[in-house]
Amino acid sequence: MSSREPRASGYFRSSYDQGLRLIETRMQWTALMLFLAALGTFPFIATSFQLDLACQVFLAAIGSIALMLLTGYAGQVSLGHAGLIAAGAFTAGILFKEFGAAFWITIPAAAVVGALIGLIFGLPSLRLRGLYLAVSTLALHFIVVYLGGEYETKRGFSTGIMIDAPRIGDLLIRDRKIWYFVLLAFAAVSLLISLNLLRSRTGRAWAAIRSHETIAEALGIGVPAHKLLAFVISSSMTAVAGALFAYYRGFVSVEAFSLFLSIQYVAMIIIGGMGSLLGAILGAIFVTLLPYMIEYAVGFLPNARSYAGMLAAFNYAAFGIVMILFLVFEPQGLVGIWRRVQNYFLLWPFKQKPLGGSRK
Amino acid sequence: MQLAINIAVLAAIYALIACGYVLIYRVSRVLNLAHGELMMLSAYLLLTTASLFSKNPLIAIAAAIFLSLCVGVLVYLFLMRRMTGEMVLAAVLTTVALGVLLRGLVVLVWSAQQQNPAQALGWVNYSIPVFGGRISAAGAALIITTALVYAGLFLFLRFSRYGIRMRAAGQNPLLAAQRGISLHAIYALAWGLSTLTGALAGILISLDSGLDSTMVLIGLKAFPAALVGGLDSLVGALIGSLIIAAAEVLMIYYVDALLSDVVPFLVLILMLVVRPWGLFGTREELDRV
Amino acid sequence: MSALLRVEKLEVVYGRAITAIQGITLEARKGEIVAVLGTNGAGKSTTLRAISGFLGLDDARVTEGAIHFKGKNLSNRPPYLITKLGIVLVPERDKVFPSLSVVENLSASVSGTGADRKRLEEMAFNFFPKLAELRGRTAGLLSGGERQMLALASAIVCGPELLLVDELSLGLAPVVVDDLAQRLVEIRNTLGITILLVEQNAAVALSIADRGYVLENGRVVLDGDAARLRNHPDIQEFYLGGAGERRSYRDVKQYRRSRRWYG
Ligand SMILES: Nc1ncnc2c1ncn2[C@@H]1O[C@H](COP(=O)(O)OP(=O)(O)OP(=O)(O)O)[C@@H](O)[C@H]1O
Ligand SMILES: [Mg+2]
Repeated sequence: MSSREPRASGYFRSSYDQGLRLIETRMQWTALMLFLAALGTFPFIATSFQLDLACQVFLAAIGSIALMLLTGYAGQVSLGHAGLIAAGAFTAGILFKEFGAAFWITIPAAAVVGALIGLIFGLPSLRLRGLYLAVSTLALHFIVVYLGGEYETKRGFSTGIMIDAPRIGDLLIRDRKIWYFVLLAFAAVSLLISLNLLRSRTGRAWAAIRSHETIAEALGIGVPAHKLLAFVISSSMTAVAGALFAYYRGFVSVEAFSLFLSIQYVAMIIIGGMGSLLGAILGAIFVTLLPYMIEYAVGFLPNARSYAGMLAAFNYAAFGIVMILFLVFEPQGLVGIWRRVQNYFLLWPFKQKPLGGSRK
Repeated sequence: MQLAINIAVLAAIYALIACGYVLIYRVSRVLNLAHGELMMLSAYLLLTTASLFSKNPLIAIAAAIFLSLCVGVLVYLFLMRRMTGEMVLAAVLTTVALGVLLRGLVVLVWSAQQQNPAQALGWVNYSIPVFGGRISAAGAALIITTALVYAGLFLFLRFSRYGIRMRAAGQNPLLAAQRGISLHAIYALAWGLSTLTGALAGILISLDSGLDSTMVLIGLKAFPAALVGGLDSLVGALIGSLIIAAAEVLMIYYVDALLSDVVPFLVLILMLVVRPWGLFGTREELDRV
Repeated sequence: MSALLRVEKLEVVYGRAITAIQGITLEARKGEIVAVLGTNGAGKSTTLRAISGFLGLDDARVTEGAIHFKGKNLSNRPPYLITKLGIVLVPERDKVFPSLSVVENLSASVSGTGADRKRLEEMAFNFFPKLAELRGRTAGLLSGGERQMLALASAIVCGPELLLVDELSLGLAPVVVDDLAQRLVEIRNTLGITILLVEQNAAVALSIADRGYVLENGRVVLDGDAARLRNHPDIQEFYLGGAGERRSYRDVKQYRRSRRWYG
């Protein structure tokens, strides 16, 4: 995010260390503090419905940050993200159902399972690129979902697996307010891990691989290892999101992990803006809230009642249109719009940036 | 014997769908992941034309096929044309988005209920005994149509001037333009032909076994068939379809019916591990995308 | 005679940074063979690409000047329409479709109506009888000379009024080059088309051309009748490699100076 780009008013860095800083100006500190304060007070003023939305956004944000690392930064396309979420959810569900395992066991277990599957998802990437890779992840999605369905039918949970509310020590996580803070913490940790990865050697290696694989190899970057690492980290994070999702819903069922979910995650990073963590978060917010906005909008149509059964269809259609609009007209995504607006105000009354600070 | 017939029908279905993927990929290097949805749209269009021309089923079918061809061309002209020159992946994601949009629209227009176009046309899907097994009339029609479509495509690409230009444009678009070929026209033609073959598949499948959104999944399952054969080869698509269909039918019969939706993708992964460029594809194809 | 093609003060910039052509003016009259000479990187191919409309693909733009063909301004026309207007390019590399057969390569070319086209195809085979023998052969398997023939033949089937040939002699044996050059003259004489020939091999180019231009660093430094150019001392010295022993350090310095002067 901000760490890679110089301030709009000029280029002030005088050493490489400064380029690594996450926060550069006092202004940024203040903004961050205000933002954290807002996040902290939100649950105490929000309705239960709004809290639910916030929780969903946090869950989606973990997944989309993970996908952004893989696709937006390391350049490896995946159409099988829903498969990974399913893997995490089922890991939690199965461990709980079969062994009565606790929260602090199932979540790390989901991370490990995610890492393993990531390794498997990643293996094709050593031979395949672009389209072919996307296709192989798509295939893996179907296989993971099949395995989940198989478990459900073989064990007789044909309607899904119920999971009790988790417990950390004496604290029962059932209340929405507590969920809010738990999920916020997980999302924040994923964001921090990602920020740190990206400003380290790994992040630079990914950038090199994304821009040109052969050249990255010639530069002495371990391309296979870094590709696999991207898959492992991303999948592990996604699986944790899946396990949290299972707990939050109290319920796991294969129906929830359709191909459409994968497409939604891809949409998040496109709509948000490729190659930006802020974009991943904005995309997660947008895509999570879109169905509710549609529902609201459909309510205004004449004889709205008759459309009630068709909300899903409206969703699909609106979703397709929004995705197409972004792909065709704003490939930079919401972040692109955000930056243009920000630059407009920062630079006003000028139109151009000073030379050193120009963004590519 | 019944097993062999089932394999033949399924292979015909996959082959008829797969050639749509191959046509577009071969000409413009774009993978059309909305093919299944376009196919479904054609079948729904038949539902509408069937109610318009309830007296003449054949006219209804012809009208639906013609409309589908128009849809394909329009999709290129108004959407995919904007994506030429962009990254291939952006174009592929655009087709994904188009697919989602179509899925929504179809339900909004025709509702999500299971429909039966054969009934709307007043046809009964007779079961015909052959070689000690049985085949449905629509199944037989599928096999014959697939054979005709492949023969037609083969002749078109080999001998007609436009077919040759299509191959030329797929190989070197720059040189094609230098020889006076309008790339947009060729791409639009490819999209039109692809949706046309998809329409044939969608219509015949819906006549055989009814129509709802599961057709999208059939479309997606035909994609491994195209890839196993090598994405730019028609012969490959035919043989890939046979392999996938055989694997699927045998697995359902001998192992587990639930496997039906995964088998094509298992074969696909196996293929990607062993020979990623497909049975008949060329190796440099891999580096191009 | 009026000019069929007129390139005026053309300036071409690659990717906003590299000015490959800085103000070239040249013209070709109907039925002429015009040679364009110059060392590697002088901007010859870029000029041809600008005329035939293919700059956009390399992220290049015409920043200044204009190109007129038969009195029409060619700017902002898509390449395939320029071909239909009658300007056909035989590019430097990748000039045939390798997986198509020889006949198919010819059929891929777009041109007018049925009878006209038949005549052109026959004509192409008449100019290059060798191709008739190789009809069914896959183009990717042809030798360099045969490929060049096929490229010229496919270009002729497009029915051009102006043929742009980039590096006729690239990678070919001298005998073959002489032969191909004679074919070009023949093509010009029978079809009455104009040919703009970009060449490294000045001896061959000037032997068949009516006029010539010499480019250096994206500018025209010399132009005139082919005969005059053949006898020009600088051309003698540096393109025809003429007077062997006479070359001394001072001559080179003199040449450098004149280059600077022009460039
Ligand atoms: N795609 C491109 N991007 C950037 N610069 C280019 C590109 N193509 C050519 N140039 C530059 O433009 C200048 C002219 O190139 P051009 O290909 O026209 O030369 P040429 O006269 O045809 O040389 P040659 O005899 O080697 O073919 C060169 O300096 C070259 O580096
Ligand atoms: Mg050149």
